[in-house]
Amino acid sequence: MIETDILVVGAGPAGSIAAKHAALGGADVLLIDKKSEIGSPKRCAEGVSKEGLNFLGIEPQLIWAVNEIEGIRLIAPDGTDVWLNDEIKLPEAGYILERKVFDKHMAMDAGRAGAKIKIKTLANALKKEGDSYIVNCESMGEELDIKAKILIGADGPESHIGRWAGLKTGTKPKDMESGVQFEMCNVKMEDPTVLEFYFGSVAPGGYVWIFPKGEDVANVGLGIIQSKADKTAYEYLVDFVKTCPATKDGKIVELNVGGDPVGGMIKDLSDDNILIVGDAAGQVHPLTGGGIINGMTCGMFAGEIAAKSIKKGDYSKKHLSEYDKRCKDLLEDKMKKYLKVRDYLESLSDDELNSVAAAFQNVEFKEISTAELVKKLVKVSPKALLKLGKLF
Amino acid sequence: MIVKDWCMYCGECAGVCPKNLILLKETDLIFDDSKCRECDICIGVCPVNALER
Repeated sequence: MIETDILVVGAGPAGSIAAKHAALGGADVLLIDKKSEIGSPKRCAEGVSKEGLNFLGIEPQLIWAVNEIEGIRLIAPDGTDVWLNDEIKLPEAGYILERKVFDKHMAMDAGRAGAKIKIKTLANALKKEGDSYIVNCESMGEELDIKAKILIGADGPESHIGRWAGLKTGTKPKDMESGVQFEMCNVKMEDPTVLEFYFGSVAPGGYVWIFPKGEDVANVGLGIIQSKADKTAYEYLVDFVKTCPATKDGKIVELNVGGDPVGGMIKDLSDDNILIVGDAAGQVHPLTGGGIINGMTCGMFAGEIAAKSIKKGDYSKKHLSEYDKRCKDLLEDKMKKYLKVRDYLESLSDDELNSVAAAFQNVEFKEISTAELVKKLVKVSPKALLKLGKLF
Repeated sequence: MIVKDWCMYCGECAGVCPKNLILLKETDLIFDDSKCRECDICIGVCPVNALER
């Protein structure tokens, strides 16, 4: 049996930053991950905002921030496109990451801050014993029990830790985007500093993205809600890549798949001796599906609050619920609004999307942000005004 | 459950299993078949159609 103040399960960006801030707060921290290589395989489209990294105190480095993003291009089913770039203010400008490098770098940050790290270590089960959790693990073929005063579940969309502890994690199929992505070269982008989003029946319940990583290299992927679809996510992507002018001559060098929980944050993020962070807690933007910055910000809160609890010797829900409060203050209102926007977008037919894109042609955007887009959407579409007018 | 060899071990099935019966290892999926109620939600969400009852 190993004993530690804080055990973090899962070394994705949210888990690693939680471990880092818990260690910086003076606690004894162990970070475990089931994989043999942190960050691989990647599970996302790798976009982050500059503002977000800055808030987290993370200095971008060329080895993992591989491309700078300066604009957005939205494409309707008939090809009508809407550009947001040029001299517009850019609060959501950002980077495309190399997640395999970034995730490892974040884990190293945790290690350098004092956290212990064990890779190839899978949590199998857990039980409560007095004022701590005992997590039964399998580490390179050996059984290992880890006793922790506070457990941080950062185990991604599977979210076993929360459910084993009696929290309502886990995702309903209607809220789980099924994601598939190719990393490709030979992609002919209009501008390799611009993120492209394709809407409509190319990806029911989601969208297709082309996120450039270099002159001709991009992550080309999509998310769908399976119940709205009539083939697998993979088949949708193969069909898209074959027909889209940007990708039809592209060469695929990597395939990634995975679920993205877009239904909003779980109601209770903590309980006695436990906190849930990242995808496991549903800390994902319901409209974009982006979760790196949200998950990391909440992960940072979790690490700070867990370390404070260790210092005080109080690991009760009452004390840890400061974490719930900080996450909800940051995300809850925003998530509720964007869940409504997602519902609205999903209700549009290809024809309706085409006419929205056409109406956007004469619109001037003040800034590039999802909020600004929805504000302008409400102005051009009576249906949007009816459903979203009060919110934006 | 039959897991086809093209399974990518992404764990989406584990996330939607209403009874939390699917454990994902690095390159293995462990189903607790004894408690499974055969709702087949896991089969439906698989992005690459790698599960078969």
